[in-house]
Amino acid sequence: MNTLSIDFKPFVEWDNNPFILFSPQGKILYLNNSAEILLGYVSTKELFDLALAYAPQNFGYKTTALSLRYDAFNFFSITVGYENEEYLSIRFYNAPRIRNSAPVDKEKLSSTDINLLLEANIALFKTKNSNPLQLLTDPDMPHLKIDQNRFSKIVRKALESFRASDSIHIELKLLVGEHVIIEEKRVPIALLSITANGRYIDQDGEIKELSEASNIRSTLGEKTIKLEIPLLQ
Amino acid sequence: MDTFYTRSPEVEQIIQGLNLTRTLFVSSVLIGEPHTGKKSLVTHLFPDVPVVSGEDQEAVERLLNDSEELIITDFEQLPNKESLDFDNKRIIATANYVGNQKTIDTLFAFIYTMPSLKERPEDLQHLKTLFLKEACRTLMLNDNAFSPDEIPSDITMNSKSLRRAVFYHLMIQQMGEEEIKSALYRYFVEHLEGNNGYKEHLGLYEVPLIKVGLQKYGSQLKLSEVLGINRNTLRKKIHEHAID
Repeated sequence: MNTLSIDFKPFVEWDNNPFILFSPQGKILYLNNSAEILLGYVSTKELFDLALAYAPQNFGYKTTALSLRYDAFNFFSITVGYENEEYLSIRFYNAPRIRNSAPVDKEKLSSTDINLLLEANIALFKTKNSNPLQLLTDPDMPHLKIDQNRFSKIVRKALESFRASDSIHIELKLLVGEHVIIEEKRVPIALLSITANGRYIDQDGEIKELSEASNIRSTLGEKTIKLEIPLLQ
Repeated sequence: MDTFYTRSPEVEQIIQGLNLTRTLFVSSVLIGEPHTGKKSLVTHLFPDVPVVSGEDQEAVERLLNDSEELIITDFEQLPNKESLDFDNKRIIATANYVGNQKTIDTLFAFIYTMPSLKERPEDLQHLKTLFLKEACRTLMLNDNAFSPDEIPSDITMNSKSLRRAVFYHLMIQQMGEEEIKSALYRYFVEHLEGNNGYKEHLGLYEVPLIKVGLQKYGSQLKLSEVLGINRNTLRKKIHEHAID
């Protein structure tokens, strides 16, 4: 088949794996949609340095298996290559998302106003800490079925990790258009994100464990904790 | 129903947290020194919830089976905490100390720390006034005759020592010669022994006498005249009893 007449650019453009083309000076000449989002979490310079460090010695392409993490992005491998001295390309391979497999025992879940649980946890946090808190929630968030005790433990531990932070920003919102498949059903997702200038990571293992048991996807960054909560009905 | 009053911002936050969770099936524990009002607070907030003491493991387990909400006091006393199942229940526990942090962390979603009276100056004055009224009623005294400010605040054991200090103060105000003799009599029954009893216990009489005398008359010279003793004898006694 003659592929010369095919325009491959849209395939790269819409590839879920980030792709960037650099000039020898580190200027971005091209980036696809996914790379554009990635650049919200990591600097251009850092990615260019990475490309230089893993570039093959001669013209061609080199794939290296390595574990990279930028906020919610998790990569297991990169390919760096160049065919001339004008362009240097880097492509990141998304690590597969581990599918939640915690069994859902709906009898143990109670219909819950998540805003109420969040407020109670903030009141608890305030009894021990005086850090300034900013809270942004969606008052129209639908009730969800959740193990209230376990979820409270997750929020408590998540907030405690910000106990020495200067200013804590908490946001709860519905992730419009995003779903998670649980027991073969599409379930909408709410995102609880807590951000500050830094945090402790001493309880990350427990946050992860408790979240997995509740089918909550947790992203534990240096300054942010994100919890993707399935809105089970 | 127990009454509970506070002006402490920390305790008000605890109340807010507990109130927010009153419709939720979560487990909460309130940990703090004895006699800080933990039990009064939770029974005040949850008047209809059955109460059981952690001293009785069997009763706790039985009530956990029968009820979906429960107040467990003296939680630290429970011998076998790990065997308890708080799933889908509204549990409010009180404990005098943490014990095993890991167990508390696993069992409870909400862990509150009740501040001691030392950390709640806002509540101290109120409690003193409350205890003063209670003491006046019990001792059948006119409560207008006393001011909370004149009563020393002993908060070494929180409300327990404070209440005791108020009662002592009021009783001391009412004591006459007979009561003082009777109090000394009881004291000597317990403490008189050895071979130097007279001198050892002389301070019970001399220390308050000299202290009040110095306060009232200012100089040792004047006091020695009032007491009818030699100035050197008075000076010796002040030195012996290390009175400033």
